[in-house]
Amino acid sequence: MQLAVNILVLASIYALICCGYVLIYRVSRVLSLAHGELMMLAAYGLYGTATLFSGHPVLAIAAAALLAVAVGIAVYFALMWRMTGESVLAAVLATIALGILLRGAMILMFGTQTQHPLRDLGWTNASLAIGEARISSVGLALLASTAFVYGGLAVFLRASRWGIRMRAAGQHPLLAAQRGIGLHGVYALTWGLAAFTAGIAGMLIACDAGLESTLVIIGLKAFPAALVGGLDSLVGALVGSLVVAAAEVLLIHYVDPLLSDVVPFAVLLAMLIVRPWGLFGTREELDRV
Amino acid sequence: MSGYFRTRYGEDAALLDTRMQKFWFVLLVLFLVPYPFLVNPLWLDLGNQVLLASIGAVALMLLTGYAGQISLGHAGLLAAGAFTTGILFKELAAPFWITLPASAATGAALGMLFGLPSLRLRGLYLAVSTLALHFIVIFAGSEYETRRGFSTGIVIDSPISDPRAWYFVLLAAAGATLLFALNLLRARTGRAWRAIHGREAVAEALGISVHRAKLSAFVVSSTLTAVTGCLFAYYRGFVSAEAFSLYLTIQYVAMIIIGGMGSLLGAVLGTVFVVLFPYAIDSTMSALRLSERFSSVIFAINYTAFGVVMIAFLVFEPQGLVGLWRRARDWFLLWPFKQRPLR
Amino acid sequence: MRKVLWTLLAAAVPLSTAWAQDAYVIGVSGAMTGPVAANYAPVVEAMKAYLDHVNGRGGINGRQVRVVVLDDQAQPSRAATNAKQLLAQDKVVLLLNASLSSTYAPMIAESKRAGVALYYAGAVCPKETYPPADPLQFCSTAFGANLDSQAALAFIKKSAQDSVRLGLAAMAIPIARAEIDYAETLSKTLGMTPVEKQISPPPAPDYTPFATKLKDANPNWVWSWSPWVSQVRVFEALRRLGWNGRYVTWAHLNAEEELARIRDAEFYVVGTNAFMEDNLPIHAEIRAVAARAKLEHPVSYLTEGFVAGLVVEQVLRSTPWPPTPQKVLNAMNNVKVDMKGLRGGPLEWTRNNHFRTRQYYRVWHWDPQGNRIVRAQDWQAIDVKR
Repeated sequence: MQLAVNILVLASIYALICCGYVLIYRVSRVLSLAHGELMMLAAYGLYGTATLFSGHPVLAIAAAALLAVAVGIAVYFALMWRMTGESVLAAVLATIALGILLRGAMILMFGTQTQHPLRDLGWTNASLAIGEARISSVGLALLASTAFVYGGLAVFLRASRWGIRMRAAGQHPLLAAQRGIGLHGVYALTWGLAAFTAGIAGMLIACDAGLESTLVIIGLKAFPAALVGGLDSLVGALVGSLVVAAAEVLLIHYVDPLLSDVVPFAVLLAMLIVRPWGLFGTREELDRV
Repeated sequence: MSGYFRTRYGEDAALLDTRMQKFWFVLLVLFLVPYPFLVNPLWLDLGNQVLLASIGAVALMLLTGYAGQISLGHAGLLAAGAFTTGILFKELAAPFWITLPASAATGAALGMLFGLPSLRLRGLYLAVSTLALHFIVIFAGSEYETRRGFSTGIVIDSPISDPRAWYFVLLAAAGATLLFALNLLRARTGRAWRAIHGREAVAEALGISVHRAKLSAFVVSSTLTAVTGCLFAYYRGFVSAEAFSLYLTIQYVAMIIIGGMGSLLGAVLGTVFVVLFPYAIDSTMSALRLSERFSSVIFAINYTAFGVVMIAFLVFEPQGLVGLWRRARDWFLLWPFKQRPLR
Repeated sequence: MRKVLWTLLAAAVPLSTAWAQDAYVIGVSGAMTGPVAANYAPVVEAMKAYLDHVNGRGGINGRQVRVVVLDDQAQPSRAATNAKQLLAQDKVVLLLNASLSSTYAPMIAESKRAGVALYYAGAVCPKETYPPADPLQFCSTAFGANLDSQAALAFIKKSAQDSVRLGLAAMAIPIARAEIDYAETLSKTLGMTPVEKQISPPPAPDYTPFATKLKDANPNWVWSWSPWVSQVRVFEALRRLGWNGRYVTWAHLNAEEELARIRDAEFYVVGTNAFMEDNLPIHAEIRAVAARAKLEHPVSYLTEGFVAGLVVEQVLRSTPWPPTPQKVLNAMNNVKVDMKGLRGGPLEWTRNNHFRTRQYYRVWHWDPQGNRIVRAQDWQAIDVKR
C-alpha cells in the first residue's frame, strides 16, 4: 500500500514535468531540454516571493505561478521563435544553452545555499495517513495538482478556442497559419503553460525537500517518462510517468536502490527499440524523410 | 579558369595544392613546433588540452557534422575509453601499447551499440537513445569504482610525464586524426556519409547501403573518441566517473556547433574557443579589475556567458566560427567588390 | 573579434607573476563557485580571512602570508590546471585542496611531481593521510573515514537501552558507500544487528521509496554518513512515514543551523568541531574576523576554515625563512596546533600520521523543552592508530 502511494507521488512529479515536454513538442515540434531549469526558476521565484510577501503564502504562490508563465512567454519571444525552421540539433542545443544560461543566472542571483521555501511560507509538511500508508501533505498536493493540471488541459485543449488553435498548430502549422491562427501567440501560450506546469512541479518539490541547484537533474530524469508515453500525447505522458515511476519504486524495493538512477533510461532504451514513438504517440513522425 | 593545373594524379590527390596553402601550412608548423618552449606552463597545459579535445571534436564532427547522426553520448564514449584504460591498468598492470588498442576496440564495440538505434531512429529520438546509453555507461563506470574501492578515482601512472613531451605526442595524435579524417572524407565512406546526411532515400536509391554507412560513422567516431578517452586518462593520470558528466557532452557539441558544422576546421576552431573560453573570462575579469568583487560568482558568470555565447552563435551565426572565417576571408578576397559577380 | 580576444588573453596572463620573495606563499584550489561551493567556499574564505587578520597583526615571523586562491568548480581537470599554475607560476610552498574528493587524484599527481605538500582542508580526509601516511598528503578536515562510524556506533551502543537494530543510509558516491559498508561490518562486531542498508542516488526527486524500504526493516537506530542533503532528506522522509526511531548523522558545516530548523529531539549529529553556541573566546574572534572581512556565509559555517587557518599559521611559524617546500614539509611532519576549543584537543601531525593522533567527537541534538541545541555527549577521544 505504501508502495502504491510512493509510486503515485513519484509518478505525479514526473507527470507534471512531462506535461511541459509534451505540450511544447506537440504544438511546436521542439524538444525543450531546459525544463529542469524552468522548474528551478519557478522554485526560486517562490522563494523570492515568499520572502517578499511573507505572511501571505497564497499570494506568494500565485505570484510565483504568474512569474513562471511570464518567463515561459519571455523565453519564447526572446529565443525560440528565432529557432523555428532550424535543424533539430540546433533547436535542441538552443534549449540546452538556454538551460545553462538560466542555471548560471540563478546561481548569480541566489547563491548556492539550500533554501527552504516551505518554511518561508510559514507552512509545515505534515504527514497524513491513508489506510496504513502515509503520505506527506506536499505529496497530496502533488497528486491533486497533477489531476487538476491534466484535467484542466484536457478540457482546455478540447473545448476552448485557444486549445483548439493549439491543436491545429500542432497538426499542421502551415494550414493553421493560413486559416488565420496567429502561430506566435499559440507558441507563446504553449511555452507559458509548459513553464507553468514545470513551475508547479518545481515549487512543490522545493517545498518537499528544500531548494538547491541540483533540482535541474530531476527534469532530465522525467524525460524518459515523456518518451515512453509518446512525445505528443498527454495521456501518454500520464501513463509513461506511471510506468517509469513504478519501475523505479519497485526496483528500489525489491532489487537494488542503486538501479533507480539508471532504470528510467533503460526503460527508455527498451521502448525506443521496440516502439520508438511511445505507447500513445503518433507513428508518422519517424517516417519523414 | 583558375590557373592551377593538375597534371599528375599525385597532385590531384594532394591535400595542399596551391602555393599559398603550402605557405600557410609551413607557417602553422613554425608556430606549433616551438610553442612549448616559448610559453609558460599554464599555456602549455591549455595547448595540450586543446589538442586532446580536438581529437574528440573531430570524431564528433565526423558523426554529426558530416554523417548527420546526432549523438549526445559523447561523454559516455570518452568515459568508456578512459575506464578501459583504468581497469586494464589497475587489474592487469597493462602498458599503454595494450590499453590503447583495447580502448579503441571498446570504442568500436560501443559504437556498434550506440549506432544500432540509428538504423530505426532519426534526429531527436536518436539523440535521446544516445543520451540513455551515456547514462548507462557512466553508471557502469561508477559501479566499478565503488565495488573495487577506488572511491576517489583510479590513479594511473603515465609513461610520459613531461608536459612538453605530451605536447608533441598530442600534436602527432591530433595531426594523424585530422589527416585520417580528411582522407576518409574524400574517400568512399565519407561520400556515403554526406549522401545519407543529405537525403537517405536518394542515397539508398543510388546504391549506398544506408545501414552500413550509419554504422560505420558511429564505429569510426566512437573509436576515435575512445582513443581520446584513453589519452585523457594518461594525460591526467586518473579516471573517475564524475569527470564525465552531461556537461562534457554539451561542451563537445558546443565545440562543433560554435566551430561550424560540416567542417573539420570548424571542429578545431570550436575546440580552441570552448577550451579557452573560461580562461578568457577569468583574464578579462582580472584585466578589468573586477575579479575581487566577483570572485564568488565566477562559476555562475562562466556558465551564463557560455550559454549566452552558444545562443548567440545558434541564432546569429549558424555556420559558426568557420562561417565568420569564411566571411572575413571572402571580404578580403573580393575587395573592393562585396559580392561575387553573377555569371 | 577573435583578435580582440587573443589580445586580451595575452595581456592578462603576464599579470600573475610570482612575488615569492617577501612573503610565505601558499596556494589553494577550491570549489569556490559551482553547485557544491556552499560546502567549500566558506572554508577557504574563513581561512583567508584569518590569515589576513594574522598579517594585520604583524604576520608570521615578521613576514606576510599570501594566499593564492584558484577556483576549480569541483572539476578534476580544472583542479589539475590550477595545481600546475600554482606550482609553476606562483611557486607556492604549500598546496591546499578544498574541493570534492574527485579533485584529489589530479592534485596528488601534481604535488608528487613538484615535491610540495598537499593539505586537504575542506573535504573528507583520504586514507592516505592515516598512518602509515603518504609523505606528501596532510589533512585537517573534521571527517575521518572509518573513525566517524566508530564514534557514531560507540555513541549508539552507549545510549541504546535495548538491543540495537541498525539501519544505514548513504548517498551513492563511492566514498559514502565505502564508509557505510565499513559501518555495517563494525556494527556486527559490536553486537548490533544491521537490518537494512539503503544507498540513494544523488539527485532523487523523492526519497520516500528509499525511506520506505528502510522503515520496513524496522530499525530503532539509523546511521547515515553522506553529504548533508542526502542525510537530512532520508530522515525527513522517514519521519513522514511515521518512523519514530533515532537518527544519527554526521555534522557538516550547516549542522548547527539545520538542528535549529529540524527541531527533532531524536535527530543526533556527531562531529568534531565545537558549535558557535559554546561561545568560547575563539568564537568571538571568528565573529570579529568574519565581520571585518565582510564574509557572506553564516558564522557557524566558518569553524573548519578557522581550523585550517590556525594550522597554516602554526606550520609557517615553524618554517624558518626563507621557506622552501621541503622546510614546510618538515614543519608539517612535526606539528602540534592548539585548537583553542574549536576541537576537543590539539591537532598533532607526525611523520607517520598526517591525519591527527587523536580525534575527538561530540554528539549534539535539539532539546525541545529548552528550545536549544544540547550536547548529548562531550568530547570522546579515539586514538588514530595503524
